[in-house]
Amino acid sequence: MTTHEPAFDLSSESPSKIAFRTLVRDRRSWVASTMLIIVVALTLSAPLYASLISKTDPFVSTINGTVVLDGVEVQVLQQSTEGLKLGVNPIGPTWKIGPYFLGADNQGRDVAARLLYGGTNTLLIGFAAAALTLIIATLVGVIAGYSGKIIDSVISRILDVIWAFPVYLLSISLSVVLLTSGFKWGPISLEAGSLYLPIFIIGLVYVPYVARPIRGQVLALREREFVKAAIGGGAKNSTIIFREILPNVIPSVLVFIPLMVSLAMLTESALSFLSIGVQAPDASWGTIIKDGLGLLYTRPIVALAPGLFIVITAVALNLLGDAVRDALDPKARLRGAF
Amino acid sequence: MLVSISILVFLIFFATPGVDPAARIAGRNADQLTLQQVRATFDLDKPIHIRYVSMMKHLFIDRDLTSYVNRGAEVWPQLTQAIPATLSLVFGAALIWLVLGLALGITAAGARKSWIDPAIGIIGIVGVSLPVYWLGEVVNLITQGRLHATLFRWVPPLGYVPFTQSPSGWFLALLFPWLTLSILYAGIYIRVIRSEIVGLMQEDYIKTERAKGAGEKRILIKHASRMSLITVVSLFGLDFGALVGGSALLTEVVFGIQGVGRLTFTALQNFDLPLIMATVMYAAFFIVIANAIVDLVYAWIDPRVRRG
Amino acid sequence: MRRSRTLVSLIALSFVLSACGSSSSDSGSGSNAGGQDGVLAPYDAAKAGGTLTLVAKGAAGTLDPHINYTLQFWQLYQATYDGLLAFRKVDGPKSFETVPDLAEALPELSDGGKTLTFTLRKGIKFSDGREVTVNDVKASYERIFKVSSPTAGGFYNGIVGADACLAKPATCKLDQGVIVDPATNKIVIKLTAADATINYKLALPHASILPADAPSKDAGTTPIPTTGPYMFASYDPNKELKMVRNPNFKEWNREAQPAGYPDEIVYQFGLTAEAQVNAVKNAQADWMYDPIPADRLSEIGTELPNQINVHTLTAMWYLPMNNNLAPFNNVKARQAVNYALDRNAMVKIFGGEQLASPACTFLPPGFPGHKDFCQYTAGASVESPATSWAAPDIEKAKQLVKESGTAGQKVGIVVSDDEVNKQMGEYIQSVLNQIGYKATLKPISGNIQFTYIQNTKNKVQISVSQWYQDFPAAMDFLYILLGCESFTPGSDSSINMAGYCNKALNKRMIDAMALGVTDQAAADKEWGDIDEAIMAEAPVAVAFTPKQIDFLGARVKNYNFSKQFYMLVSQLQVK
Repeated sequence: MTTHEPAFDLSSESPSKIAFRTLVRDRRSWVASTMLIIVVALTLSAPLYASLISKTDPFVSTINGTVVLDGVEVQVLQQSTEGLKLGVNPIGPTWKIGPYFLGADNQGRDVAARLLYGGTNTLLIGFAAAALTLIIATLVGVIAGYSGKIIDSVISRILDVIWAFPVYLLSISLSVVLLTSGFKWGPISLEAGSLYLPIFIIGLVYVPYVARPIRGQVLALREREFVKAAIGGGAKNSTIIFREILPNVIPSVLVFIPLMVSLAMLTESALSFLSIGVQAPDASWGTIIKDGLGLLYTRPIVALAPGLFIVITAVALNLLGDAVRDALDPKARLRGAF
Repeated sequence: MLVSISILVFLIFFATPGVDPAARIAGRNADQLTLQQVRATFDLDKPIHIRYVSMMKHLFIDRDLTSYVNRGAEVWPQLTQAIPATLSLVFGAALIWLVLGLALGITAAGARKSWIDPAIGIIGIVGVSLPVYWLGEVVNLITQGRLHATLFRWVPPLGYVPFTQSPSGWFLALLFPWLTLSILYAGIYIRVIRSEIVGLMQEDYIKTERAKGAGEKRILIKHASRMSLITVVSLFGLDFGALVGGSALLTEVVFGIQGVGRLTFTALQNFDLPLIMATVMYAAFFIVIANAIVDLVYAWIDPRVRRG
Repeated sequence: MRRSRTLVSLIALSFVLSACGSSSSDSGSGSNAGGQDGVLAPYDAAKAGGTLTLVAKGAAGTLDPHINYTLQFWQLYQATYDGLLAFRKVDGPKSFETVPDLAEALPELSDGGKTLTFTLRKGIKFSDGREVTVNDVKASYERIFKVSSPTAGGFYNGIVGADACLAKPATCKLDQGVIVDPATNKIVIKLTAADATINYKLALPHASILPADAPSKDAGTTPIPTTGPYMFASYDPNKELKMVRNPNFKEWNREAQPAGYPDEIVYQFGLTAEAQVNAVKNAQADWMYDPIPADRLSEIGTELPNQINVHTLTAMWYLPMNNNLAPFNNVKARQAVNYALDRNAMVKIFGGEQLASPACTFLPPGFPGHKDFCQYTAGASVESPATSWAAPDIEKAKQLVKESGTAGQKVGIVVSDDEVNKQMGEYIQSVLNQIGYKATLKPISGNIQFTYIQNTKNKVQISVSQWYQDFPAAMDFLYILLGCESFTPGSDSSINMAGYCNKALNKRMIDAMALGVTDQAAADKEWGDIDEAIMAEAPVAVAFTPKQIDFLGARVKNYNFSKQFYMLVSQLQVK
């Protein structure tokens, strides 16, 4: 990626101010931000929703329970009464503000409440994993790009090995293994059901994706005049990194943020869908889609709703990502970073 | 590189508790003597590095490695038999997404002043935001379930039909998997191509062409599109390589296509170590090859690199 | 045995159909059913022909009948392999009885039951054309040990010489235990002690008679020649299994091995359960192996009742609890789980009251030795049990948890990764949290869950498992699952998952087995009492008695349900 160096700087505004102004003027960032704020607000309101509106604990199974709808007490999971009377169906969406707005799932839990709680987990994992990726990748990329040949080739080699694993394959392998027993390494101990496991795994597998472009950028930067001048001037390495390299790398990292959150979210939901992400009774949009698969023919809303939420959030993040990228460098061309 | 990957895979899986294959191979309620016999037969009681070397030897040299789960079923034939399904899936989807990506990407770049650009942009963004397994399940719900009796009667049951067995069956069975898999990549490619072309339109040598008097459309189609192909080719190489290696896992699982991706997932779930090694090595192999080819092609067709 | 694909011992689905306190009525036999109770309808050559298409999510492992221990393939072995004896292949309770198959008659017993004498039928050929000889019989029984059959030690260790064979399988010789005479076609089997269940054991696929030159190791995907009406043509565990008619088959005992109707049987693998339902509905398949997904049950129960057959099984779904690990090493904690478990909820998860009935006893209803009692239902106790289950008692459960001092402890529930088991697990997690524990759910792939929960090294506290009878004898449930000899710490093969070992009760069980040789009725009564005594200590929590649904394509006729093998595959008519 080329760094932002306007040919003529007629105003005395700093590049970051210009970028910010462009961003604010971009309609996309408004649309995207609004969508994101709505989604986040909804998911954060989960406890309120559960206690005020749905009035059932979304993490307790009420298979044999009853609920009062329209003044009539009905079973939450109803025995089929037609034909051979096989099967049991959860109640469907009531479409009224109150318990079971979107109906019940196979455990008799309120789908709408779980959807909101699930969003918290999905978004949390998405943001945390993205943060982990970006921090580690920036660190690794800068060190690799700036250090000597040996360190660079060792790091690059490790990155290549990790990247040679298709992302899904690696994350699935790690999840399958770590989820049966948890992760213990020195002082760090993560239990199998902990949310830190998916965060850790997803954060790790995407590191090469970001680290390589950053490394490429740092390599190019190191050859630039102003960096060579600084080195020649006898400045310490750490000073150069913090004063010259990092500030030029930060814009790329910023562009990566919405993209990585979206990717992390999608990966998390795929892992949860395969039952190796978030564990019961915690919910995430991916686990609810999986729950919904068992109800696809009778209560499709359980599978459709979380998917729609994922799409909306991912769209918003991608829109925002586009806007940020265009604001920071209209000529941005991130090789392979789509 | 491949050696490092194989070691990594072996390490990830060998130390997991609860996956001692002996009892599972021996069958339910096998008594202790039986278990010991099985352990000896499969070399399960030798130290790790011997097991690793033995497995690698069986995998690559002797090629007679047998599954831990489906006893007697050799690993290589399982893998090779799954390849045509994945290739069919990936080729078809690749064709669709390339065509869509190029057509819509170029159109969007050319129609930047009108509503077409943002409209296509939205298509692109939605494409990359759809979880592919969810989309697949929704497609199944409609074509196999709800509307199967009426609108989608012609849709065959889920699964793969070899081309040699029935070309029309092969096509119909793959139609919806193709469409589902290609949507994600179409979205990516629309965005990449559009943004490449837009960027290129500002490049100096394009400006030269304009100065020479060439029409905008001609520039677009003749020059910019061709140049954007450089990035597209490198991207495509990597994506295609990954998919052939088994990244279409979710699509295959959802649509019941017995391809390499599905085989990989089943192997992972069953902790079938020989099969896992084979499928993962296969996937890594393709990625490494794809990377190498892409680097070569990139160096060859990028005129800037050639020029200097 | 288990139902699961890889580890089910197909043994007997034999289910004694006697009615019990629970709703055990079978239903929906529609126009597919055929045959009268006890006797197969005479062979109708006009209906022979066509290709029967079966679908399942996956294959069931090796094709070797001496090794495979799954319900899925044992259902196919009934039409391909034969032993000296066989379970009668009919619809109804007579399918529990053994009849002579390759032997001319049931064995002559002598020496206090320790010697069995058979005469081999003449003229029966393998699918490769060779005649079945007494040498094949001896070689087959030796092969059971040579290939390390899973039941070699559990079922066939009573044959004289078995001990040596178990220690050194490769060179197994049963010269003292299986004595054959080619001149007279006689086979003499000598046991170390009289065994009331030996006839059953000789009728299982693990005792099939194979050619003497069958490989001395797991044949895997290579078919071994058969004696039955069908032979295996090809087997690809990822795609399909194909069976074709055995050209050398001639019906010799219709009760033991009836001629088959379809010309070809094709078993396709790879479809999910939902896709299988669609395939059968859309006439692309004739029958599906996997359980019908919960959200399709009411749909097909309403739209296609004539294609559904429901039968009660002698089986149970239960929750083994680790009696040697906190918190369930405390009897009050285990009793609390029993009180808290809402069997009706578990029944609902399984598919509703038409598909399962709540259960309290270890021996299922209708099983020899079954006694009606229920200690852990609302209003009942160990001292004054009720006769059947009514409702859970959460308050009592909470109190017991407090009294046990285990409140607040962490509990991990290990279940199989399929839909139904996962739902059960989630429900149990909710219940355990309710009564005072901190429960987590650990779903594990169905292929490894069964061995995982057996190995004490995995420190499994509680899990969900199933047990389907191997043959109609109480010891198959009580002694196999709860006997001291079945508990092997640190091993993947320790079927006594609860780790339960009560020396006094163990002795009672062994005594009951011996009693069964002479007085089965008295022994059965004793088994009932043993059941109640064991459940007073609540080593496990029994959940429900399941039923079997068979969903057939519209064109399929002549459905017969053997209690031992479930649906008789060779008898289905598709023409």
